Amino acid sequence: MKVVVVGAGMVGNRFVDELGRLAPQVEIDLLGDESYEPYNRVMLTELIAGRVDLAGLTLPTPDHGRVRVRAGVRALEIDRERRTVVTADGDFAYDVLVLATGAQARVIPVPGLRDGLPRGAHVVRRLDDARDITAATLNASDAVVIGAGPLGVEAACALRHRGIAVTLVAASDLLNRDLDPEVASVAADQAASLGIEVVTDAQVASVGVHAGRVDAVHLADGRTFPAGIVVLACGSAPDTTLAAEAGLDTNVGIVVGHDLRTPADLAVCAIGDCAETPAGVSGLVAPGWAQARALARSIAHASELELPTVAGSAMRLKAVGMSVVTMGARTSTARPDDRVVTLSDRRERRHVELVVRGDTLVGVTCVGAPDLAAHLSTQFDRPGMLPADPMHLLMGTSGIGATESASPTAMPAATTVCRCNGVTKGDLVHAWDGGATTVEALADATLATTGCGGCTQLVCGIVDWLQTTDPPPVPTTSQPDGSGRETTVPTR
Amino acid sequence: MTETHCPYCALQCAQTLRGEPLAAEPRAFPTNVGGMCQKGWTSAEVLGVADRITAPLRRVGGGFEAVSWDEALDDIASRVTAISGESGPDAIAVFGGGGLTNEKAYQLGKFARLALRTRNIDYNGRFCMSSAAAAANRSLGVDRGLPFPLTDLNDADVVVLLGSNLADTMPPAVQHLGPVRERGGLIVVDPRRSATARLTDGGAGEHVQLVPGTDLVLLLGLLHIVLAEGLADVDYLAARVDGVEDVRRSVAEWWPERVAATTGVPETQLRRIARTLAHASPHGGGRGAFLLTGRGSEQHADGTDTVTAVINLALALGLVGAERGGYGAITGQGNGQGGREHGQKADQLPGYRMIADPAAREHVAAVWGVDPDVIPGPGVPAVELLMSLAQPDGPRALFVHGSNLLVSSPDAQVVRRRVEALDLVVVCDFVPSETAMLADYVLPVTQWAEEEGTMTGLEGRVLRRRKAVDPPAGVWSELEVFAELARRLDAPGTWSTKPREVYDELRRASAGGRADYAGISYERLDAGEALYWPCPDESHPGTPRLFADAFPTANGRARMVPVREVGPDDGLRAEAPVWLVTGRVLQHYQSGAQTRRVARLNDSMPRAYVEIHPVLAARIGVEGVDDIRITSKRGSMVAQARVSPDIRPDTVFVPFHFADEGMVNAVTNAATDPISGMPEFKVCAVQIAKEDA
Repeated sequence: MKVVVVGAGMVGNRFVDELGRLAPQVEIDLLGDESYEPYNRVMLTELIAGRVDLAGLTLPTPDHGRVRVRAGVRALEIDRERRTVVTADGDFAYDVLVLATGAQARVIPVPGLRDGLPRGAHVVRRLDDARDITAATLNASDAVVIGAGPLGVEAACALRHRGIAVTLVAASDLLNRDLDPEVASVAADQAASLGIEVVTDAQVASVGVHAGRVDAVHLADGRTFPAGIVVLACGSAPDTTLAAEAGLDTNVGIVVGHDLRTPADLAVCAIGDCAETPAGVSGLVAPGWAQARALARSIAHASELELPTVAGSAMRLKAVGMSVVTMGARTSTARPDDRVVTLSDRRERRHVELVVRGDTLVGVTCVGAPDLAAHLSTQFDRPGMLPADPMHLLMGTSGIGATESASPTAMPAATTVCRCNGVTKGDLVHAWDGGATTVEALADATLATTGCGGCTQLVCGIVDWLQTTDPPPVPTTSQPDGSGRETTVPTR
Repeated sequence: MTETHCPYCALQCAQTLRGEPLAAEPRAFPTNVGGMCQKGWTSAEVLGVADRITAPLRRVGGGFEAVSWDEALDDIASRVTAISGESGPDAIAVFGGGGLTNEKAYQLGKFARLALRTRNIDYNGRFCMSSAAAAANRSLGVDRGLPFPLTDLNDADVVVLLGSNLADTMPPAVQHLGPVRERGGLIVVDPRRSATARLTDGGAGEHVQLVPGTDLVLLLGLLHIVLAEGLADVDYLAARVDGVEDVRRSVAEWWPERVAATTGVPETQLRRIARTLAHASPHGGGRGAFLLTGRGSEQHADGTDTVTAVINLALALGLVGAERGGYGAITGQGNGQGGREHGQKADQLPGYRMIADPAAREHVAAVWGVDPDVIPGPGVPAVELLMSLAQPDGPRALFVHGSNLLVSSPDAQVVRRRVEALDLVVVCDFVPSETAMLADYVLPVTQWAEEEGTMTGLEGRVLRRRKAVDPPAGVWSELEVFAELARRLDAPGTWSTKPREVYDELRRASAGGRADYAGISYERLDAGEALYWPCPDESHPGTPRLFADAFPTANGRARMVPVREVGPDDGLRAEAPVWLVTGRVLQHYQSGAQTRRVARLNDSMPRAYVEIHPVLAARIGVEGVDDIRITSKRGSMVAQARVSPDIRPDTVFVPFHFADEGMVNAVTNAATDPISGMPEFKVCAVQIAKEDA
C-alpha cells in the first residue's frame, strides 16, 4: 500500500511516525513545502525568546526504508482520478492520501498590510517567520504585537525577554477565548508587570509603512504606537486550497467524517488544523496528534476508526515570565449544578478556578500559579476519587498534616529518633534512666546512631536536654568517633 | 570472631560475628562506614529461629514428614529422570535467587544446564535488576550496578535518586549523601515523600513528587531542557557518544509545559533541576553529579527505556566516565550483582557471557569439560517461565533456590496456582517460607554465617562471606545438593562441594567475559585487597571505575538510544481510579521470609499497611487505623490504613514483604518490559475501599 501525506508539520510527521511503526510494509511519502526537516512548530515563540535553539526544534524524522520525507516539495494538485499528487518534483501515486496541510496565518486587511507584508511585519507560523523576527530584534527597539491569543501573548513575552519595548494591541481582552474577563485582567496585570503595554478594545486602523518598512501601528481612536517590528497574531485559517481545488467539500476546514475521510472520496483523509471533523476544527496540537494516531491505527489494522475525543482542550502558555494554563470548563461555561471553586489573589497576580462535575474535575484555570497548574493537569478529567471537598485540590500534593517537632524537648516520647534501629525518644530516656548517660553509652544500650548516623545530632541534643533536666552523678558528653573510614578490608 | 558481611541487601555492611549465641556488630568499611541497620544488628537471630528446617521434608497429604537425604535425593532424581524422559529436559525448570553466593549461583546455572539439561532457568533478579542491566548493556556495553565506588558520591555537587528509598532499604549508605546534602544537592524523585525524600528537607536539596509511572516523561523533559538551553557537554558528546542527533530529535516534543502536565512536576522545578545538573557537571565547572536509579523507576513495563533515558541524560551532561560523576543502578539483593553475572539468567553463561554466542559456549564448555552442544540454548525470563508452569508444553517440575517467589512475584495468586499444578516442586531453603510450604520436597540448606563464599556488592566489588558457626546437623550446603543430584543424574563435569574450588572454576569460566573475575582470588580478598571486576589476572589491580577511557562497546563509544513514552500498562479508569505503588520498609528484606521471623523486626512492623493521603482517606471514609481493601483486575488485599500527607492524594503505597491477606503482589501487574522481562510492580490502577471489620 502507498500512502502520501501532504504537510510535514507536527501532525503529518506524527502520523507518518505512527504508521511507519504500526505498518512497516506500507510505503509512505511525506511531502513538506518548507525546506526544513519537520520541526516543532509549537515552540516557535520559544525560539524567538532564545530559550531554545534551532536544533532543539527538529523532530524525529521517520525517514527510513519505505518511509521517505520530501522536504521542500510542494503539492501543486491532487489528481483524484489517477490517485496522484502532482508536484514540481514529480508525481506521487497513492492508495491513501492524508492531508495535513495545517493552517495559514490570518493577515488583517488594513492599510499597510493589504499588498503583501512590508519589511518588519511578520506572522508567526513557520520557522522562517520566527528566524526573521529574531533577526529583526537586533536592530529594532520597539514592537507591536497584534492579537491577544496565546500566540500573541507568547510572542510579546518573547520579544520583551529580548529587551524590546512591546505593546500588545487587541480588540478583545487578553486570552479571551480561554479566560473570563475578570481573569483576563489578572493575566493582563502579569503582562504589564513584565513591562508589556497591553492595549485592549483596540481597533487597528492601519500599519504605518515608511520606505517599505513598518514604523508604527495606528488605532482607530487616533492612538499611535511606534513599531520597528509588527507581529501579526490574529488567528489562522485552515489551509483548504488543495482540497477545494480537487473538488473536495470544504467549509471552515476540509470536511471529513468520523473516520477522518472525506465523504466524497474515501481514499482521501484530513487530520490536524486543516480538518473539519463533525466536532469542528481544533487548532491545537494535542487533538491533531490524537487524530494522527487514530488514523494510523485504522490504516495499519484495516479497522474502524473511532474519532478521538480530547476532553476540554488544554491551553498552556509558553511565555517567559507568565503562567496561564486552562483546561475544559470555566465559570462562564460551567453548568448550573457544577461546583466552581475560585481562589483569587489579585495582588500576587494569581487566580485559580476549578470546575467539578460530579466526581470529575472538568475545568481548570490557573493564572500565575504554575506549580498548582502542573498538579491540577494530572488530576483533570481523571475518573473518580476527587477529594470530598474540592477545596483540597488547591493544596496540590502538599500535606495538610502537622509537621513533627524536631526539638528534643518538645518531641513526644513515641517519636522515632533513630530510624535505622527503630529507637524512640522514650527508649533513649529509658536507657538514660538505666545509667547510659553519654552518647556512646546510649548507642551501646539502644543502637541509636549506629546505622546511618543521621540522628547523632538529635541524640546529642537529647543528652544535652537530659543533662539539664536530669543530670547524672558524673556528667560527661562525648561524641562518637566519626573517623570510621578505611579503604580496604582489614586483614584477618 | 569472624569478619564477614551482612546477609541482607547489596550494601553488604561489613560485620563481625562473635559470642555465644552468635551476635553481629558493624565493622568499619568504606560502604557502611561502621554503620548497620536493625536488620543487620539482628541478623544472627535467623540462625536460631524456632522453625529452622534441619531435615529433608517430604510432602505427605496435607503435611510433611522428615526423610533421610538419601531417600529424598534418590526420589527427586528418579522423578526428574521420569519427567525428563517423558516430556524432555525442558520440562524441568529452575528458579534461582539474587541472595545466593557467587559460588552457588554459578553452580546452579551449571546444574541446570549439565545435570538437568534444561534451558528453563531464570531467577528473582529478573524482578530487580533486569531493566537497569538491559539499558546499561545497550548504551554503555556493560552492566555493573555502580560503575564507581559508592564513596565517590561524597565528592559530588549533585546526587539524583530516581525511585530509590535507600534511607529505608540500605540506611548506612545515607552517610555518603552527607556532603552533597550540605551542598544542597540531593534530588529525590519519588511519588512519596519517603524517608529518603525527607533527606532533602531544610535546604539539603529537593523532592520531585511526580505522578507514578511518569519517570520516563520527566527524563525526556529534563533532557529537552538540557539540549534546548545549550547545557549539554558538546565536546564530550562529540568525542565519546553515538546517536546524539536521534535522541535530540526524540525529546523535541517534550517541552516543559507538556512535561509538567503529564508528570505534575512544575516547569520551574524542571528548569531548575536541569540547570543545577549542568552546573554540577564537569563541563559546567562543578564537582560532578551522579544519577542513580532504584526499583521505583525500573520496575515498569518501560523500565529499560526509562533507565536508557537516565543514561541519555547522564551522557548529555558528560558524566559517564568522568572523574566525578556518572550513572548507576542501586542493586537491591545481597548478591544481586554477582547473581546476575554467572549463569542464573535464562540467556547467560558465567562472566556475563551470552548463552547464544558460540564463542561463549565454547569457552564455558571447555571449563566444564563438556562438548558445547551439551549446553542448552536460551530460556525465557522469569514471569514468562512462571506463567508457563504446568501449562501444556510448559515445565512439569520446579527447583527453587534462594527465592520466595509465591510472595515476591507479580500477580502472585496466579503464580501460586501454576506452582500448585506442578508434578514436582523442590525448594531449598532454611525456613518454611510460603513457597517451601507448597513443595513436594523441602531441602534444608545453610545460611550466611554457616558458609564460605563470595558476594559481589552494589559497586562490583567482590566480598568474602565467611563461616562463623557449623550448620545444624542435617543441614547441607546447596553445593552438596547439586553434587549429589548431579551424580544421581549421571551429569558430566566435576561437582566440587568446596566453595573455594567452585569459585576458582568460576574464575576460569568468567575469564575474558564482561564480568571477568579471573584475577580475584580468595587469597587476595583475604589479604584485604579492594577488588572490583573486571580483573583479568592476579597482577591486575581491579577496576574501581569503568569508562574512564572508553566504553566496552564494539567501537568504544557509548550509544544514546531514543526512547518513547509508553505509560503504565494498567491505567486509571472509573473502576480503578487510584494509583498503587509498592516498596519496602526498613525492618524487612524482600519477601520477609527471614525478617518476619526476627521478633524485634516483626514486632515493630508485623504486617502490611496502606499509606494513604488524608484527603483520599476522607474520601473513602477511612479514619485512623481502619482497614482498606485494595482491588485490581488481578486480585485484592487488605491492610491497615496509615494516613499520611507524605503520599500523593491520587496514590496509595503498600510494602510488599508480606503474605496472606496483606500480600500486595496479589494485586500488582505481571505485564513485563519487552526488552528486560521486568514486571511492572511499581504502578497499577486499583480501587480502594474501607474494609468493614
